[in-house]
Amino acid sequence: MTSRNKLSVYQRRFAFCLLSLVIATASIFAKATQHVQTEQAEHQIQPRLETKQWSDIITKGKNQEVYFYAWAGDAQINQYIQWVADQVKAKYAIDLHHVKVSNTSDVVARVLAEKSANNHKRGSVDLVWINGDNFASMSKNGLLLKQWANTLPNFMLTDPQNNPAVHFDFSVPVNGMEAPWGLASLTFYYDSLAMDNPPYTLKELETWLSQHPGRFSYPKPPDYLGVSFLKYALVMLHSQGNTITKERALLNQPVTEQNAQQVLKPMWEFLDRIHPLLWRKGTYFPPSSVYMRRLIGDTELNLGFSFSAPEIPAAVDRYDLPKSIRSYAMQDGTLSNVHFVAIPYNTAHSEAAMLVANFLLSPAAQARKQKAKIWGDKTVLIQSMLNKEEQALFEEPTKHPSALPVGSIKRIISEPHPSWVDAINKGWITRYGSQQ
Amino acid sequence: MIVKYKKDWFTHIIALSPKLLIAILIIPIMSGLASVLLPAFGWIPAINQTTLGLGGFDALLQTAGIGKMVELSITTGFISTLLAFIIMSLILARFFNSQWLQIIERLLSPILVIPHIVAAVAIGFLIAPSGIITRLLAPLMDWGLPPQGNLPNDPYGISIILGFTLKELPFLLLMALGILAQPELNKKVRGYYKVALSLGYYPITAFFKAVFPVLYPLLRLPILAVLAYASASVEIPMVLGPNTPSTLSVMIMQWFNDVDLSLRIKASAGALLQLGITGGLIGLWLLGEKIISLVFANLLSNGKRDYANKLLSKFITNLTIIILILLVLILCVLLLYSIAGYWQFPQIFPDEFTLFHYRSAIAQMNNSLFYTVFIALISTFIASIITLFSLEYEQLAQKPLSRWTHLIIYLPLLIPSIAFLFGIVWLQQLLGMPNTHSVSISNVIFVHILFVLPYVFLSIASSYRRLDKRFAQVALTLGATPATVFFKIKLPQLFAPILIGIALGLAISFSQYLPTLLIGGGRVNTITTDAVAMANGASKRLSSVYAMIQMILPLIGFTLAWILPKFFYKKHA
Repeated sequence: MTSRNKLSVYQRRFAFCLLSLVIATASIFAKATQHVQTEQAEHQIQPRLETKQWSDIITKGKNQEVYFYAWAGDAQINQYIQWVADQVKAKYAIDLHHVKVSNTSDVVARVLAEKSANNHKRGSVDLVWINGDNFASMSKNGLLLKQWANTLPNFMLTDPQNNPAVHFDFSVPVNGMEAPWGLASLTFYYDSLAMDNPPYTLKELETWLSQHPGRFSYPKPPDYLGVSFLKYALVMLHSQGNTITKERALLNQPVTEQNAQQVLKPMWEFLDRIHPLLWRKGTYFPPSSVYMRRLIGDTELNLGFSFSAPEIPAAVDRYDLPKSIRSYAMQDGTLSNVHFVAIPYNTAHSEAAMLVANFLLSPAAQARKQKAKIWGDKTVLIQSMLNKEEQALFEEPTKHPSALPVGSIKRIISEPHPSWVDAINKGWITRYGSQQ
Repeated sequence: MIVKYKKDWFTHIIALSPKLLIAILIIPIMSGLASVLLPAFGWIPAINQTTLGLGGFDALLQTAGIGKMVELSITTGFISTLLAFIIMSLILARFFNSQWLQIIERLLSPILVIPHIVAAVAIGFLIAPSGIITRLLAPLMDWGLPPQGNLPNDPYGISIILGFTLKELPFLLLMALGILAQPELNKKVRGYYKVALSLGYYPITAFFKAVFPVLYPLLRLPILAVLAYASASVEIPMVLGPNTPSTLSVMIMQWFNDVDLSLRIKASAGALLQLGITGGLIGLWLLGEKIISLVFANLLSNGKRDYANKLLSKFITNLTIIILILLVLILCVLLLYSIAGYWQFPQIFPDEFTLFHYRSAIAQMNNSLFYTVFIALISTFIASIITLFSLEYEQLAQKPLSRWTHLIIYLPLLIPSIAFLFGIVWLQQLLGMPNTHSVSISNVIFVHILFVLPYVFLSIASSYRRLDKRFAQVALTLGATPATVFFKIKLPQLFAPILIGIALGLAISFSQYLPTLLIGGGRVNTITTDAVAMANGASKRLSSVYAMIQMILPLIGFTLAWILPKFFYKKHA
């Protein structure tokens, strides 16, 4: 009978589908439980780092998993981290998972929560991309593994004896809690088709704004880049030529309630003046630094800035910015800082994380990172510490027209103490956070 | 005719499944809600806060701009639901008796499966000062640079309202059409409608007086689900809303994620406030319903045949065309951006085309793609099994599932997920769940079931109940066991609708953002969580590629659901 045959065929097919799904599910769960067991076994060994030799670390770090929590707002950086994952897989059989983070402070909160919940040995974060106030906060709360970064073989290539930049993060001592990864400077850029003369100082910026209302803005604090712009403005407002004013000296020390009001006052006055001249008259701010870059690509804004100079030509190559974009550094001062990777104290995979951090510092990885086409993040290695072949890795054949010209940075201004970030953020939110 | 059958393992499982269905939905939601209560009143032992008090609510009320946040949540949620509902009713009324209804249905249904985040991103591309609409207007207005406008992210929430309305309109329309497709109901309302027409009522009037009163009570739950969603979800306000401040739901999420853990007390209090707002809006809607039915009851029987029908039908036709054009523009903009080189304002087309963005997206999405599909397959599989067994229970027990059960099935859609999800996260930490990847993924799958189940159930239930019972009865009288009847007779007959239900379930799972992010602790990346992370990011082009992939994934599911039954029937017919 045909109808009976028909049914049995359906039934067999259905049963087959069902069966394969069940098998798939079962195998996944089997793998999952196996996974849990191996992880439990790993936790029994909690080695002491200080006495260990590097070769031990290599042996122990191999074949492990590393959860790398890193800001993921930029496709190029994500691709670079993917490349790192492939490399450490080939080199050490390490499974590097990039946990894509939109705000690094979430990671601080996560580790802090784990510490509060007495999770001291099996934290979820193995490696984190960090600097500034997030580092200060993790360091203050004892959330980071200590004295490991200075033991990495490749750390020597940063010339630590003569390079204070790798020992202080926003004037907070690093103490081997984080390994340097890249160097960032506040770089401005503009569309050369839209204007000839971009503003070169904070004063010129104010004049430029009154001539081009609505064509500039900054990312909404607490965005890192937005706060950086405010810090640049703050330092400049307290600078008269080369003399260091009393207020400017205060910026290198922790903030107090009395001096906050006095030091921040000129900045609030400055913002009160320029906000009506900003994009959307300062009622809406770009939610992130990359969003601001997008607005420049759309020509809604004509002037922008970034903490990663090579990001700009890279964005031009990816069609996100027009070819007529040119980069420059402010002449009155350029805010600069180093960014790092750190290992939380409660990781179960510290050796593997150290292997990854050491690989990130290798000339091959640093040179690749500095290439404008890859990421364009400036290296923290010092050229004189490298041999000829290693130096050759860093050479780039042609200079991109949108890239920051060599030697543009005239005066470097260092970051204020991280406690100022909080004071700036709190003040900003009360003043401008709710204004409709 | 009642046919007796023997009880065996199968009937036992079937008898248990409605209870399982209720348990799976109610336990996590209720325990989630309960566990958000304690921190809201200041009890978080992990940060040494163990004194109960109203500090969290004080902090909440003192937050700068709290009034504005609440106002935005209420106005955007209410207005967009009302607009979507009104436009849906008008379109139904205008095209009830025309073939256009089917065409509109087909054109709108892709929007249903597009995740909210994609809709938000695309609408942003449309209405921004440098968006496609101003580009089309630029030659007329002589704009060299983009004009300085307030959209999107305007302080009044107009962009949010636009986003929700465009996204929820297809949902309501398809729900209404689904209800009207039930054979008995369809026969009844078509009959009423014909009588009204023959009595000289103009078509739109005939619809509102004869069909609408029958339809509305059945549409009430979907409407309330839309209202709840629009007042409490985060994706659309995050992308299209203002940020000084944003809606309450977005701010709650920010507080929960803040470095300062004590803000969690405020966030939990905020979650309760959100619950109150959504509950209040639902109450308001039901009250409005009562008032309207009281005030306008006599209109139904006043005998008036014409309410400016000609004008109204012209207006609705134009409105429908505008909405369809907007939807087509949305699809075009996403497609164009995904292959665009640099695209200077005010050009209408990009300077050049490239596949570069697809290559770089695919290079970085392999893991996310795998987890997206994996989580969706497992959660939908489990949800389908529970659904089918529960529906089979209805037929074996010869009584429909209780009204209460129906309400519970809607529960995940009616209670703001932001409220109970945070409770579940907190519970996870309290229970000391191991922090491994596989545990995170299982938890995400479990929570996805909550959101997939209602849709799978609603989708499969109507066909299941429509199935001719005589096949089963004959088989049972011939001595087949209930299991044989279920697997050999019912499932093959229901092959097509089950596949549609599964495709819908997969689409729902693909689009989940908040559950994946919160329950997975940020460690489970899917295409949707990546897309949200990127929505406010640098590259419109990459965002568009993700949006395209988010549309293609459910499309593959639905195409398979459409083709597979044909393939089976053709071969063995």
